Amino acid sequence: MTTLLYTHPACLEHDTGFGHPECPGRLTAVLNVLRTGPFAALEWRDVPQATLEQLTRIHPQAYVERTLARIPKQGNVAVDGDTILSPQSGEAALRGVGAVCAAVDAIMKREASNAFCAIRPPGHHAEPTQAMGFCLFANAAIGAAHARAVHGVERVAIIDFDVHHGNGTQAALEHDPAYLYISTHQAYIYPGTGRRNDRGVGNMINVPLLAGSGSSDLRHVWQHEIEPALRDFQPGLILISAGFDAHHMDPLAELNFSEDDYAWLTQQILAVAAECCEGRVVSILEGGYSIPALAASVAVHVKALMEAPRAAQRSLIKGILQRQKARRNAAGS
Amino acid sequence: MYEFLKYEVRDAMTANPIAISPQTPLKEVEELFESHDFNGVPVVDEQRHLLGILTKFDLLKAFSLGIRAMVPHYDEIMEQPAEAIMTRDPVSVEPLLPLSRLLQKLVEMRTKSLPVVDNGLLVGIVAREDVLKALRRSTIKHEIPVHEDSPS
Repeated sequence: MTTLLYTHPACLEHDTGFGHPECPGRLTAVLNVLRTGPFAALEWRDVPQATLEQLTRIHPQAYVERTLARIPKQGNVAVDGDTILSPQSGEAALRGVGAVCAAVDAIMKREASNAFCAIRPPGHHAEPTQAMGFCLFANAAIGAAHARAVHGVERVAIIDFDVHHGNGTQAALEHDPAYLYISTHQAYIYPGTGRRNDRGVGNMINVPLLAGSGSSDLRHVWQHEIEPALRDFQPGLILISAGFDAHHMDPLAELNFSEDDYAWLTQQILAVAAECCEGRVVSILEGGYSIPALAASVAVHVKALMEAPRAAQRSLIKGILQRQKARRNAAGS
Repeated sequence: MYEFLKYEVRDAMTANPIAISPQTPLKEVEELFESHDFNGVPVVDEQRHLLGILTKFDLLKAFSLGIRAMVPHYDEIMEQPAEAIMTRDPVSVEPLLPLSRLLQKLVEMRTKSLPVVDNGLLVGIVAREDVLKALRRSTIKHEIPVHEDSPS
């Protein structure tokens, strides 16, 4: 089984205005790298528009209507200083949500091992009734709710390694223990939420990192906080809010992750997924504003997704061999 | 150098310096920095009581990443009044302080300049350059060359 890639041309036409860091060029660079030889095995899929039913699992209908009504016929309109709309923004946002829901459907039906949604605008800052931080709809939270409602998944985990805290995802899911949200993010920058003691109903694991944190800090928190919480939760599906702005070249933050860190982190998540939920992972593009760093980081992330089945097989065989060995040793003693 | 020990802050400071009000927009402060070679500017009330000091460092700090927006917005930040980002109750010196003491203070604080205050009123500003100039001036005529033999 392969990895699915969901994207839509409208996501390239969401125009945030001159010089805006969340620009179409980000997605162009990502898609260009995913069209190269090493990614030939990816299965590219077009996406439907999100339905009102999907959107209203998280957002009130009035919010959806209000947001779509703000889309300008021409030029740009600002929701806030960061969040800018253009004529194609509505279509792009609806295709983004559509991509996530279609990816969840395909992965729950075992059409592929995992999927990557190369979409924009991003979603993790969008709260149920407030667009903000470049985001209109809560892509990841909607995908999680979709998995529960349509596929009967009992527990859905979302891992968010974007450098900013996903206040929108948290606001949408913090009262429902069927969801586990785990976020690593830089402390004391936008949006200012995601303190360590912010735990929802015990289902929000916020791991703020100080400016300057890098590879070893990431490994430490994964090992001591994130992985144990994720395993304990035993999710039936893992979604990834994959922002790559914790990269050391990113202009909007001060964490120091590298491509190797993103490859490693993806492999770790996939290893837990292989044990808990037959490898079911849907990854969703969030931020990342150094275009070369974003393209390189998405490349290693998607490469790891593509190699997941083989890696899972290897770890399965290793487990069987270890258990056999243990039995032999027990019988021998 | 002996002459230098006689100097006081008032001998080296710039008297009656340019100062701004707490309501001056940062845009105007930046223009002031651009047109004069200031590193910082005192903030005073109408009677010239010293309220604060605003430096280029404070301006830079206003643009560092924070929780209010994903990207700091130039115009929004530059429209803020000086009092939003100035350092309040800044360290100041009196005009009669020996200049040698001021030199020590500048070194210890790693600061570039200090406001000079007399009875709460701003009367001057004294910077690294002023002290360097005073050092030079104090040694031009009066220094006894060290290589001369002492009279026997």
